[in-house]
Amino acid sequence: MLQLTAPAGRVRRGLTEPLLPVAALALLAVAAAALDAAVLCWAAVGALAGFALSGSV
Amino acid sequence: MLFSPGWRAPIRQGEVLAVFSLGLVLGGTLSAGVVWLASGLAAPVPTSARALLTVLVAAVAAAREAGLVRLPLLQNSRQIPQEVLMHRLRTGSLQFGFEMGTGVRTYVSASSPYVLALGLLLAHMSAPATLLAGVAFGVGRALSAALTYWARSPDRDMLIAARMTWVKNITALSVLTAVTLLLVVG
Repeated sequence: MLQLTAPAGRVRRGLTEPLLPVAALALLAVAAAALDAAVLCWAAVGALAGFALSGSV
Repeated sequence: MLFSPGWRAPIRQGEVLAVFSLGLVLGGTLSAGVVWLASGLAAPVPTSARALLTVLVAAVAAAREAGLVRLPLLQNSRQIPQEVLMHRLRTGSLQFGFEMGTGVRTYVSASSPYVLALGLLLAHMSAPATLLAGVAFGVGRALSAALTYWARSPDRDMLIAARMTWVKNITALSVLTAVTLLLVVG
């Protein structure tokens, strides 16, 4: 595997940070609930629940 | 596990990820379908009781993740045999993803999937809405694998292990907030 340059490595690490999707999906779930958008809310909860099993096999 | 180099090198890892992700989504959709079929049984229960029960379970899940209560989770306490990946990598990845995507074939290491399943069961929404949540569950699991693939880091497992407490707590608290807003406040 090619060695990444330091800035590219930092960007890659930042973009693949596991907490990023959690924060985005959490905001989506709460915002959808506040707007009474039940389908979107449950979809966001579904994605959150799936992601919460990260690392589990 | 899916993206280690070596014996599977002749097959592109991106292809393995795509097939595995498809399996995850199909598995999540199947489980959501079963939940939707069963959700009719909850229809006679008053809406307010179903809402309160969902919020109560979400609160217990959040308390469990925070370590405030000790509660064993019902789960299939075993791993999917790695032999499914040994011989035919594409179909094996699909099967592996499908079994993981159902959420009932292996360990469940977080409380939130239970809130999702019970919430969908009690919400008794339309079939497309319930199936969409199942698809999203599979996509959520696939996203984790995709990030691991894109990260290309030998330290990825350690990073995920270090973040999991945060991931599970933020998830449980946001799910509690969302269902409370949706079912009680809204």
